[in-house]
Amino acid sequence: MSVTMLADALRSEAYRFVRNRVTLFWSVIFFPVVALVLGTLGQFFVKAKMEDVRDAGLPPDVAQRLLATGSLNLGESLPVVTAGLAGPVLILFVLIGAATLYAGDYRWESWRLTTARNTRLNLILGKVGVAKLVTLAALILMLLLGLVGEVAKGLIFDRSITFSLTGDGASQTGLLFFLSYVRLVQVGLLGLLAAVLTRSLIATLFVPIVVSVAQAIFGSFLPMLGWGVGDWRAQFLFPGFAFDTLKAAIQAGAGVPSEGVSLAIASLAFWTLVPLIAAIAWFNRQDLSKE
Amino acid sequence: MTVVIETRALTKTYGAVRALDGLSLTIPRGGVYGVLGPNGAGKSTLFRILLGLIRPTEGEAIVMGGRVGDVAASRRMGSMIETPRFPPFMTARQVLEWLSIAHGLKADTARVAGWLERVGLTEAADRKVRGFSVGMLQRLGVAAALITEPELVILDEPTSGMDPPGIQEMRALIRALSERDGITVVLASHQLLEVQRVCDRVAILNRGKLVREGSVTDLTSAGERLRLSVTPMAQAMGVLGDRGTIEGDAILANLPRAEAPALLRALIQAGVDIDEARWIGADLESVFMTETGSVQHVEAIR
Repeated sequence: MSVTMLADALRSEAYRFVRNRVTLFWSVIFFPVVALVLGTLGQFFVKAKMEDVRDAGLPPDVAQRLLATGSLNLGESLPVVTAGLAGPVLILFVLIGAATLYAGDYRWESWRLTTARNTRLNLILGKVGVAKLVTLAALILMLLLGLVGEVAKGLIFDRSITFSLTGDGASQTGLLFFLSYVRLVQVGLLGLLAAVLTRSLIATLFVPIVVSVAQAIFGSFLPMLGWGVGDWRAQFLFPGFAFDTLKAAIQAGAGVPSEGVSLAIASLAFWTLVPLIAAIAWFNRQDLSKE
Repeated sequence: MTVVIETRALTKTYGAVRALDGLSLTIPRGGVYGVLGPNGAGKSTLFRILLGLIRPTEGEAIVMGGRVGDVAASRRMGSMIETPRFPPFMTARQVLEWLSIAHGLKADTARVAGWLERVGLTEAADRKVRGFSVGMLQRLGVAAALITEPELVILDEPTSGMDPPGIQEMRALIRALSERDGITVVLASHQLLEVQRVCDRVAILNRGKLVREGSVTDLTSAGERLRLSVTPMAQAMGVLGDRGTIEGDAILANLPRAEAPALLRALIQAGVDIDEARWIGADLESVFMTETGSVQHVEAIR
């Protein structure tokens, strides 16, 4: 019964979200498409200014990336594109969808339509499940359009396009994709907690952003505090730092202390589970007639 | 008697305010049951507790045989509480399909179309609800409460915001739900004439307490009196004693119907001319006003 009812909650949230086309567009489609368009325009610009770029005295690795010739291996591009998925702008746009899911029933005063016929736990998990699907869709679209951007880059610079993916490249891509997904879900769950506590769409959208920005700003002072990768305070107070630690570990394959990796995994798990559990606990006792 | 709702010493406090004060109420299966009361009587609080939206401070409530929160029991019930609201980007049809899915059913287009027709929203079925009037939202709210074809439906002010034809249609729908579909309807309303017309039984709440409960027929007949147009009135009053009161040019006699023939014979024997004798019933409004103490309040204003 409970599994069936959880499925009901998931299906109904998905049904409603898909019909909210404005939110679907902004949270899933807008940024990947804009990133592709701007990236492609940027490639045209670089090509038009190629001589200037050669003479600009850029760092060798940047110049090489911009002016590379020969074939373009999409298999090599894949981990690079994947590593950049969970950027702050994508997080912002995915949060639009998550905020609508988490705070929508407070905003539309529609909790009372569904609460009598399902458990509150199922209703919350239904929302989280659909928010995860929205996040996954946005990430996949971002990845696919990132690869399209690479193809466009190859065509603009008259480079032949190949695809050769090594085992390491594939596993690195998979791990980076999963890590990016966890990071986006984790930030979204801060939104869930904000939604349940404040019943406000705006708070649901901005609380995770403000928390993330504040953590990023204070995180930049970590070296001054002498808190390194292996310091639990750095990892647990700054989930963004934990994310960067894990990303670096995946990209490097070695060179990051295993203690730091364990702490980073624990930190991301903590920042994912604690907001979820707190939100469920609060929601279970909430007066839903005051919407 | 099968019971659909039972509350035992149900109490809900908000700080110092007792919205419900030890309410014990039994609502039988079948028919249309009205819950009446002035503002703040506790009607909405009672409904919110029954739907699991809020928890009681004390006491317990049983709905469809299960405690509040028993989802299996709650799934046999539909509800519309206060002015219903819906996600504004959805059409009326989508709202009902969404709620069908949420309640474990398939988005059956025939069933959805059927309920839209019964509440008079067929023509507006594919319009977004953000443009709906209050009356249209009420109709959609009723359809939303009924989309799962429940055994019990709770409707809070189902005719609020409706125009007179809409009120009549809703009244007909509610009677049909009870008589044709066999659904027990529990409703709250301030429109006492509507309640008298549509309900079989009523409970009157005041300040969180049950002050009167019974069938509409019993409640209204209990207050009925025999109106006598007679001459001379003084002689008639001599026969009636303290059972009679003079109101204008008539005497109102307070007595059971069975005693009326004997009274009329006694009046004739006493030489009283009887121009007219007819029963006048107490309407639900007068019962309500008396039971809730509103009569004294109105008199004080006068």
